[in-house]
Amino acid sequence: MSKRIRSQIARGSGELAILSLLAEQPLYGFEIAKQIGERTGGALKFTLASLYPLLYEMEKRGWLEAHWQQNQAGRDRRYYRLTAAGRRQLTPLREEWRSFFQALDALAGVNHA
Amino acid sequence: MPDWKQMVRDRMNSMGADFDESVVSELAVHLEDVYETTCSRGVPEILALEQALEEGKDWRILARNIQRATSKEDRMNYRTKSLWLPALITLLGASVSLVFFQYLGVRPHLERFGNAALSLDWAWLVSLPIFGALGAHLSGRAHASATARLAVGLAPAIVMLIAMGVILPWGLAIDGIHFIRLVGFGLGLINGVVIPALALLVGTVPFLYKSRPDQKTTAS
Repeated sequence: MSKRIRSQIARGSGELAILSLLAEQPLYGFEIAKQIGERTGGALKFTLASLYPLLYEMEKRGWLEAHWQQNQAGRDRRYYRLTAAGRRQLTPLREEWRSFFQALDALAGVNHA
Repeated sequence: MPDWKQMVRDRMNSMGADFDESVVSELAVHLEDVYETTCSRGVPEILALEQALEEGKDWRILARNIQRATSKEDRMNYRTKSLWLPALITLLGASVSLVFFQYLGVRPHLERFGNAALSLDWAWLVSLPIFGALGAHLSGRAHASATARLAVGLAPAIVMLIAMGVILPWGLAIDGIHFIRLVGFGLGLINGVVIPALALLVGTVPFLYKSRPDQKTTAS
């Protein structure tokens, strides 16, 4: 698989992962990366280098909005929350990934591998 | 405790770019969280520091990616790509189509209602869904929201509505308020705005919630 395709798949899955997480509750960057890592058993891993350009891009598109507030430890963190536009992106994105995996399953039997 | 902000600033500003203090602070607190989490697992501080800085991987690439993601110019490009350009194409297409049919000598059909009449340019109206669809499709390809796609698809009707909104007060100011003038304006509104908008809508609606073609495979 070419580097470009890998990067596009990673980006697309990252968008879906972030939107899905933030649909549950507002989170700051480190928490987003941590929860994605934990909930995917480490299969999806975000570092500072991969997470923030994506968050800023999604913020620019109007899918997310961010504001500084204190976390439970009393430290200032920049929390991201979904906007109405971001919430609208979630359903079609989920549907596209479902279709993508179904197509891949039909081709390569990935669900049974 | 390391000065995380200074570390981020040193690495990011080596690109010659001047980053917003909010970006520097956010990256710094992320590194701090990684460092503290790693230390809490019993990793020596020097290794935890290395691990935290590893998060940035190639800082030059990170700086470039963040610069691209936060640049105002790109934001303007996004608005241009998703709204203004598709709207202009829709408007241009609809205008050229109108001129084309007039050039061919296709005459509008007059639908009379007593003394008033609606001028229906059927050939042109039939062509409008194509331009509505084209605009909404182009707008959708640029990640535009459904509202923006709708505005793009209806751009020619919106422009007409604005033009009439400007013309009416002038007309009323010059000639005074006459019933016949208001009826004429109402018919003009139906003729120039409502009917074309309905035709454009036929082409626009299927593209309102349609995702970009490349998302099927890459979802990017």
